[in-house]
Amino acid sequence: MIYVYLSFIFFILAMLVTSFKRFSYTLITAASAFAFVAAVVGMRAPFHSGAYILLKGVDLSIGVDHTSAIFLFIASISWFAISLYSIDYGMNYSKKMPIFFSSALFGMFLTLTARDAFTFVSGWEIATIFSYLLIMEHKGSFKEAFEFLAFGEISTVSLLVALASLYLENHSLSIIGTHGNWIFMVMATMAFITKMGIYPLHTWLISAHSKAPSNASAFLSAPLTLMGVYGLVRMLSIAGQPEWWGVLAMIFGGFSAFWGGLQAASAKKLKVLPAYSTVENNGMILATLGLSVTAHSANLTALSSFAMITSLILLFAHITSKSLLFMSIGHAKEALDEDTIDNIRGVWTAVGKIPAISMLISGLSFSAFPPIIGFLGEWMTLEALFQSYKFPSMLDKLSAAFAGILIALAMGLAAFSMAKLIGYSALGYDHGKKAKKLPSFSMNLSELFLSLTVLLAGIFSPCLIGYFGYGDFLSGLFGVPKPFLVVSSHPIFGVMSPTFMMIVAGVIFLFPLAFYILKSKKVKKVSAWNGGIALKEGEYFSAPAYSFTIEFILRKVYDMKEIKSGKKRYVSVKDVTTFLYDGLIKATKVTSKALSVTLMNGHVYSYVLYVMVMFVLLFFIAK
Amino acid sequence: MNWWPVIGMSKMLTEDKKYESKARVRVKKMKEFKRSLNIYTIDVGNCNILNFEMQALKSPKYNIHRFGIYSAASPRHADLLIVLGKPTDEMIEPLRCTVNQLPEPFGLLLIKGCGDDGIDPNELKLPNVVASMDGCPSPSEILAVLLKISGRSD
Amino acid sequence: MSILLAHFKSNGKEEFITQEKGGIRKESENKGFKNLELIENRNEFIVDVFNGGKIEGDGVFDFRYGPVSGIGEAGVFHLYTYGERILSVKIDTFYKRRKLDEKMIGMDVNDALKIAERVSGNFSVSHSLAFSRAIEKAMKVEVDDKTKRVRAIALELERIYNHIHVISKLASDAAQLVLASHLSELFEDSLCVNEIFSGSRYLRDFVTLGGVTKVPSDKALNSVLKEIEKNKKSFTKLYKNSMTSRNYIDRLHSTAILSARDAAMIGLTGPSLRACNVKEDLRIKDDIYKDLKIVTDEEGDALSRMEVRAKEILESMEFVENNVKKINSKETDRMTLQGKGDGLGWCESPSGAIIYSIGVEDSKIKVLHVSTPSVFGMAAMAHSIVGNIFTDFPFALDSFGVNFADAAR
Repeated sequence: MIYVYLSFIFFILAMLVTSFKRFSYTLITAASAFAFVAAVVGMRAPFHSGAYILLKGVDLSIGVDHTSAIFLFIASISWFAISLYSIDYGMNYSKKMPIFFSSALFGMFLTLTARDAFTFVSGWEIATIFSYLLIMEHKGSFKEAFEFLAFGEISTVSLLVALASLYLENHSLSIIGTHGNWIFMVMATMAFITKMGIYPLHTWLISAHSKAPSNASAFLSAPLTLMGVYGLVRMLSIAGQPEWWGVLAMIFGGFSAFWGGLQAASAKKLKVLPAYSTVENNGMILATLGLSVTAHSANLTALSSFAMITSLILLFAHITSKSLLFMSIGHAKEALDEDTIDNIRGVWTAVGKIPAISMLISGLSFSAFPPIIGFLGEWMTLEALFQSYKFPSMLDKLSAAFAGILIALAMGLAAFSMAKLIGYSALGYDHGKKAKKLPSFSMNLSELFLSLTVLLAGIFSPCLIGYFGYGDFLSGLFGVPKPFLVVSSHPIFGVMSPTFMMIVAGVIFLFPLAFYILKSKKVKKVSAWNGGIALKEGEYFSAPAYSFTIEFILRKVYDMKEIKSGKKRYVSVKDVTTFLYDGLIKATKVTSKALSVTLMNGHVYSYVLYVMVMFVLLFFIAK
Repeated sequence: MNWWPVIGMSKMLTEDKKYESKARVRVKKMKEFKRSLNIYTIDVGNCNILNFEMQALKSPKYNIHRFGIYSAASPRHADLLIVLGKPTDEMIEPLRCTVNQLPEPFGLLLIKGCGDDGIDPNELKLPNVVASMDGCPSPSEILAVLLKISGRSD
Repeated sequence: MSILLAHFKSNGKEEFITQEKGGIRKESENKGFKNLELIENRNEFIVDVFNGGKIEGDGVFDFRYGPVSGIGEAGVFHLYTYGERILSVKIDTFYKRRKLDEKMIGMDVNDALKIAERVSGNFSVSHSLAFSRAIEKAMKVEVDDKTKRVRAIALELERIYNHIHVISKLASDAAQLVLASHLSELFEDSLCVNEIFSGSRYLRDFVTLGGVTKVPSDKALNSVLKEIEKNKKSFTKLYKNSMTSRNYIDRLHSTAILSARDAAMIGLTGPSLRACNVKEDLRIKDDIYKDLKIVTDEEGDALSRMEVRAKEILESMEFVENNVKKINSKETDRMTLQGKGDGLGWCESPSGAIIYSIGVEDSKIKVLHVSTPSVFGMAAMAHSIVGNIFTDFPFALDSFGVNFADAAR
């Protein structure tokens, strides 16, 4: 408990010394470290503070149990890295930023440790409001920030309704050991999937992420969406695990993953691509959660808990890799002052090796490159979905298969889009563009730290699974010692050992490497072959051209148009979901105008008539 | 339906003949190319006849694959660069660039073509010139030189 | 409609040389020709007459093909694109510019003929014939019928091997390897026929001023007849069979479509124009060709161009067969040429009209302007490929039968 309090104190201290930006961020880093320690302690032995009774039935309490420990563990790694990164990155932004940052982290911390609904909502709202202010830090992002706030409030309002129904049911605001009904379930799900950016509630995520400062984008994309997952897991522990929820979650999750992957494949803006990747990953997480619930309701306990650990591993992979990706992209973006994928080519030479490697590792993690952690996550996802044949009900089988198809497509599209991102930015030819000199020690340090985390977590992922308390799925076989083999079911369905994959790959690549090093003196090195003359600027294969083929094939889905105006030609691609919202806005405007003309037109009679009618209607309904 | 490959084989299109040329070939050591050649042709300003002759050389009549001679898709895969014509001013730089891309060991065969429009390629001091032919030689003469270079005939 | 093929200033007044209804005319006023800039810039670059070259926009880049590349010639294609789609093409010709037309000025006419032949080796006869006709007209001599006939046979032999080469390339572009191999064998065979006929595989040094160097012997003529008969048979069979291959047809069909109006505005002549359903051929007015059927096709795509070429091969083969029978090996009189004057000579080369406009003084060339078909062929390619995708590029390029040597001179 002491670590939780220490963490609180450091967060608050950081808010107080906000004018000393570096010092303030250092304090936040320390606070995140304490949060990590609290998670480690809580993982072994759950603890909580005593209850502070505010009103009757409203007793406030915080603490860390096994569930929140896992989430806190994952979140605090990301917090630590982002705040470490901000020590240098924050110098580009105002003095108010540390206070927003610290408060947002504090709010999240409160949510993760809350044991009652009141604290939970307070933390939730603090995180939302200060995230809004963080997005506002970037110039010209008012519209996006407001959209974020609007969706954030939709989420909060649904959460409030859900918790009100919880209170009515249990006459207590505790979120541990209570039971919820279906209203609670629906409203809470609504609240949490809004936060996760599940289709069709993802539009805020894209616009906000692309406009926010990079540390804020990392923060919004990784830990903040983790809140949603945490909320869902909590909600399921309260409301039970009905089959319908699982099926719906699989369908929505699968579709969201597909949609995210699809849009990422056509994204041209530097930060839009990772934002859609977030939608994709959260979709996969929701689908595996849904699978877990469906399996639980069908009494398939092994599959249920395997799906659960799958979503935890996916979550871990997503949070760490996405923070890393946003951090390294932000680094390059800030240094080169560009915001399209095309224009930041040559990060390796222009900006630095560490950001380039970080982009590479995070991108490979999202494209499921073994043995990085993202690979294990996606392998487990497919492995879990393959086991849907065990379901007794046809509906479950079909929806799992449907989700599986969409997720498999999403994975392919994700690999496609990540290859674009990495290929153009980290590994692309140098533009010859001069990068700005930035104070980048802490940025590099934090990127290095997360790169190592992503890589090592991948190699030693069996240990991670064991640490999260799912040792059942670890075994030894085929000469692989226990516990380095992940098995997907009992009796064995499929096995995978990233650790040994790494060892084998190391051996296989070691010989060619040694051979290359020995022979490298004899190797003739020439510039790339480009038909006899050097490549000029404007002759490089552009990133939009890379995705043109897929945009053309799926032109109906993308609403793709080839625009021709004068001497200019370009391709326009849209996320058609935005039409939904545009329509909604239009409909609202039309209705409100119609209402204002017909009812609230200043004539007392019509207004009185309206009141009368409403009164009569209410009378009948209330009766 | 026609069995084209069978028809092709039955026609005996490939000629059986000894190929001869007077051009001198200077290969550093015999069998440098181990009886096989991957050739890449570069046009530096010939009157198009040499391009046509290279096309004709690839016809079934000469069937250069039986001698292990293949055309490469990139100079990076080639053993022998065949320079067709006398370089125009604009083509000297691309020619040097292409020569630079060839992997070791490599050779250059200069076929100068008729006329005196450009610069004599011998004056460019290109490395590893194994043979140089004047005028517009016929495919069988070119093939004879290629066979000498690959070490299949003296 | 009149097609502008050359434009230059002589003695301070502008001259426009146009082709209309099988004839070449000199005009002195601009009738709203679109391709003036194209003719002016042809030594440097060739772009689409209607939309120009360079295109900009989000994600648009220049996909450069050349100068050392698979097309096998020293020239550059700049394909502007935002992905697969080709938005615009700019063709750099200066890599292969050998300045032959500049070099000919001030030369003795006989030496200049040798250079004219080398402008494009595969159009040797066409170039030397157009050149000779210009000189002959300048010096006001008329060659006899037999010479005309022998020259026409040479010209048709040139057409045969060039067309076979084009179709063979199209077949190999469409991965019809068996067809391509058979056609390349046929191509090599036709080169051998040329050798029998003239002693040169590419009919070099055959046409001279006022005549031909050497009339082939009876033996040679007989074996030409036999070979042509054989080639005609095998080409007919190959062509018939190739038209049953759906893969091949689909690949060419509706690729790089060109309308007749656009083609004429660009200045396109030859089989590519006839593929747009325009009956325009410089051979129409010639008496020797009175039995010749002018082949046209309707759609103006790569397939039409291929079909027109294939049918022209058969027509030309028939023409050669008929006319070889009509000549004997007796030497013709060679005219001696002297004097001065201006002359306009033209000829229907395998890819379109070649025009020489020459002024001679004391057997030396004073003024020379040459119009080559590849300039307009490339411009037509640049126009017709717009909107197609990368994989259509070889079909578009090869179906026009153009080359850089001819375009850049």
